[in-house]
Amino acid sequence: MTRFIAQRLLAALVTVWIATIAVTLLVHVVPGDPVRIMYGSFQTTPEELEAIRVRLGLDQPIWIQYAKYLGRLLQGDLGRSIVGDQPVLDILLVRFPMTLALAMASLVIAVAVGMSLGFLAAYKRGTWVDAGAMILAIVGVSMPHFWLGLLLLFLFALTLQWLPVAGGDWMSLILPALTLGLANAAVLARMTRSAMIDIFDQDFVRTARAKGLSQTLVLYRHALRSGLVPIVAMLGLQFAYLMGGAIVVENVFAWNGVGRFAIEAVFARDYPLIQGFILFFATVVALASVIVDVAYAFLDPRIRYS
Amino acid sequence: MVSIKAGLRGGALAAALAAGGAAQAADLVWARYGDADSLDPHRATSTLSMQVWDQIYDTLLAFDMEGTPGPNMAESWEVSDDGLTYTFKLAEGIKCHDGSDFTAQDVKFTIDRAFGDAPSLTKTSWGPITEVTVEDPLTFTVAMSSKFGAFIPFLADSFSSMICDTNTAGTFGSSTAIGTGPFKLVEWVKGDQVTLEANADFVNRGDPVENPGAPYIDRLIIRTVPEAQTRLAALTTGEVHIAEPPFDDVAAIQEEGELEIMVAENTGQDVFWEFTTSRPPFDDIRARQAVAYATDPQMAIDIIYGGLTNREWCPVARGVFGNDQAFCKRYGYPYDPEKAQALLAEMGYGPDKPLETTMFVWTGGNRHKLAEIFQAQLAQVGIQAGIEIMDIGTMNARVKAQNEDSTSEEPGTFDMMTWSWYDPDILYQLWHSPGAYSGFQNAELDAMLEETRTTIEPEARLEKVQAVIRYLMENAVHIGLYSPGWEWVFAVRPEVSGFKVGPFLHPIFTDVKIEG
Amino acid sequence: MTTETLDPRSADADAPVAASARRKPRSFLAALLRSPSGLIGLVIVGLLVVCALTAPVIAPHDPLRMAAGPRLQPPTWDYWMGTDDFGRDVLSRILYGAQLTLQIGVIAVGISLTCGLLLGLVAGYSSGWTERVLMRLVDVLFSFTEIVIALACLAIFGVGLTNAMIAIGIASIPFYARVTHSVVLVEKGKPYFEAATAAGAGHLRLIFVHLLPNVVPTLIVVGTLGVSTAVLAAAGLSFLGLGAQPPEPEWGFMLSASRDLISRAPWMMIFPGLAIAVTVLGFNLLGDGVREALDPRQRQR
Repeated sequence: MTRFIAQRLLAALVTVWIATIAVTLLVHVVPGDPVRIMYGSFQTTPEELEAIRVRLGLDQPIWIQYAKYLGRLLQGDLGRSIVGDQPVLDILLVRFPMTLALAMASLVIAVAVGMSLGFLAAYKRGTWVDAGAMILAIVGVSMPHFWLGLLLLFLFALTLQWLPVAGGDWMSLILPALTLGLANAAVLARMTRSAMIDIFDQDFVRTARAKGLSQTLVLYRHALRSGLVPIVAMLGLQFAYLMGGAIVVENVFAWNGVGRFAIEAVFARDYPLIQGFILFFATVVALASVIVDVAYAFLDPRIRYS
Repeated sequence: MVSIKAGLRGGALAAALAAGGAAQAADLVWARYGDADSLDPHRATSTLSMQVWDQIYDTLLAFDMEGTPGPNMAESWEVSDDGLTYTFKLAEGIKCHDGSDFTAQDVKFTIDRAFGDAPSLTKTSWGPITEVTVEDPLTFTVAMSSKFGAFIPFLADSFSSMICDTNTAGTFGSSTAIGTGPFKLVEWVKGDQVTLEANADFVNRGDPVENPGAPYIDRLIIRTVPEAQTRLAALTTGEVHIAEPPFDDVAAIQEEGELEIMVAENTGQDVFWEFTTSRPPFDDIRARQAVAYATDPQMAIDIIYGGLTNREWCPVARGVFGNDQAFCKRYGYPYDPEKAQALLAEMGYGPDKPLETTMFVWTGGNRHKLAEIFQAQLAQVGIQAGIEIMDIGTMNARVKAQNEDSTSEEPGTFDMMTWSWYDPDILYQLWHSPGAYSGFQNAELDAMLEETRTTIEPEARLEKVQAVIRYLMENAVHIGLYSPGWEWVFAVRPEVSGFKVGPFLHPIFTDVKIEG
Repeated sequence: MTTETLDPRSADADAPVAASARRKPRSFLAALLRSPSGLIGLVIVGLLVVCALTAPVIAPHDPLRMAAGPRLQPPTWDYWMGTDDFGRDVLSRILYGAQLTLQIGVIAVGISLTCGLLLGLVAGYSSGWTERVLMRLVDVLFSFTEIVIALACLAIFGVGLTNAMIAIGIASIPFYARVTHSVVLVEKGKPYFEAATAAGAGHLRLIFVHLLPNVVPTLIVVGTLGVSTAVLAAAGLSFLGLGAQPPEPEWGFMLSASRDLISRAPWMMIFPGLAIAVTVLGFNLLGDGVREALDPRQRQR
């Protein structure tokens, strides 16, 4: 097991390492002079731009820049933003808990709603329940996050006034989490349904049913447990997409998370912030996938040997 | 029956009190669409940042409500006969937030820092300072290499905020900020809120408010709420006391009468057309004039801001020295699409060959909507202008890059530029070569602009300033559109009294009281 | 495991459509029309194409003309979907917006499909070291997620609808490369391929004559579903202000313009959102239908 975890961690490290190369290159593939684009505000003279170039080390060969960048990263220094000259890591650390809270709450909703719907559909396969659930799911998958968000906002916050429009407390987490959760529940419902259908078709379930074991027992003991395995495997990817979806949803609800900040950074072409965001995002997603892989391995011991 | 009713009302009251108590009676919450960029007055230029500095720091001088600078932390000052040396006397007993004394040494620290290795973004507005000398703890002199008429008003502006020399270099501007202003920094959660608490040691020496000392409120919470509708909802429920309302709702709010709408005056804000003059089409004065004639700012601001702002004819805003609507209108460009078409035809453009260009606009304040109206107006005379929306920092850089690129095959751009300044010296900063944007410039204009800096006597200076204004307008370089233009409308809850917006958009909270 | 791949990101969409590919076109169409999702999807997508093509004829107003009607007019007989804050007709804007939506779908999917196909073919065919490096890289990019890659691209190129289409196209390349790669691996193991190799067919012949045609059916399914992803992503970027710029009648952009007016003019929010949702649903259903038609085994599920 230790070896397996080590392997997964190493793979995650490779991902993060490639991300560091990607973000270093990012600044250099921007058409035009990066220093001028970033710092060429009004009142900066050509001499000052040169000074900035030297200060940032952008006058040196790219591999030296990269080595220095890695060195700084290891000390936890992600550089400073162009707008306002703020430490990038500080900004990310302030906002990450907000995004994590949103992603976790959405994941709970997605799993609760999506898996029950998918399970129900598989169990009642071929009936109108199945059809209804699957229609709901495909509509859910086709629903733009941001539109669902606006509709919920319109309904619950503005028309019924049950929930706050925005803020920072748990009450204002409900709408964004619901938006992101429901959109992902639809995906999860479809995955759960097919996974469960595969299980129900398998011999041991048929046998158990034939043996006259109670329906509930069959469901819980056998079907649900083995059905869980492929679904857990998908949760890693689901988490990555929840994080990606959070970028949009945070902007709908003005949730002060990493995603809202990323959009502001792209707008301002604040490259140190954009670099920090990509690196941070890649790290979080890679770590999440390690956690999911390990959980998967616990559920299904075969995976360790393959 | 009666007693039950009373019981109900009592219950409702208790609930209301409990809800109020949760946010402390003496906390004032002010919501804005965006956050400060930095708490370091040398590291940002946005109004959103400046308005936070106003609370944390104080300035040597202060504006009165008319925008005239007077004594504040500096009690008095003298100018040498040659106009090159200023001697200031500081008030006694000023305390920094960390308890240390504020002295001439702190002033020297602030100014030296503005000219240091990582100079202030607005360094040039300090003027041609050569040296700051500390004479004694309360006296210092500032030496200039040439006369600089805008120095005194600059010392009343928050870009000249005084920073205590006890600040820590690593964290200053992001997690710490020590000044002498009416509020102390408690915490800044970036993108969310700045929490400030009243500075008990504060003494008001020059701000145009009644309170002579520390603010009445305990804490000032400056919250970021990007969506206008959300701000309005929060104002209605009382979560927020002061905020910019959605423009489309202002009339309804006024009718309802619950919230007070305050419109800041003397903001110094000017929104104007600015062009890439280094290459076609706007290297030709006729193309610039055509844009000016083809746009109807009055109609556009009526639709978008519904009477909350004014048509501005001058390159400097109302309330700024040199602004004179009648004078500027004489050289201005009233809406006249036929004239625009005639100018375009002269240049060889017509129905089959539209003039193609791109308009830059910066985000916020519904300016993108205004731009869309201008875009439609321009299309009617045969100017096809794409719109690019970006944040103000990017726009500043892009405009400059456009001007510096005189060989590009792409048609030159124009932009809805915005500036806020307390003095016509802004024209020097914008248009004296090399110029803030490397835009339109020549020796004749440079000479005229230099005279606006070296002429100190008001009447003589007015003449010099208006000569520049006339030149800029006749050459269609800087065409005023409207003023004010951003963050100038406030909706205030009824229980809040004493909120004041000083000239040049400096909100003052020391007089504020919250009833109930 | 499963071959349930509605959302290309979900599950293992890499699983190839069973290569019952070489069916006659007519029977394919018949099969498509027989599946309810295929039929509904085809109708919706057909409607979208018709709207896009005939917008100049059927749109009641000029989509860009301001004050075509009163400002913020609720839906009436003259303005079926109301007017926006500039007095522009929302219905006309949505009809013209269909043109942009189709363009987004074609360009974005075109980019990701072409590049992903080539990458997947080369990696899958070459095997060994080249394959390992290429696919490891693709996996890493894939794990960055599409939205982050798209944002990085926009940070480089700058914002705008065309740039957004390209960014979305680039962002999905890893996904298409993975799908192609996995199909190629399956095909390479089949007897016909081994026979062709043994017969001494050249590299190009092996790739383009033998592998490519067997990859195509899967890519048709994935590409159709991919249009829905691309349309969603582009609308999302426009909603955030990074895609379409004024006055383009792009649906996501229209939605973002409705935000300040959501309680006063809900129609500005409802109809563009509906247009996006229905379009995306159409391509999702069509993709499902195509898969079922290509792979009859699926239909029984």
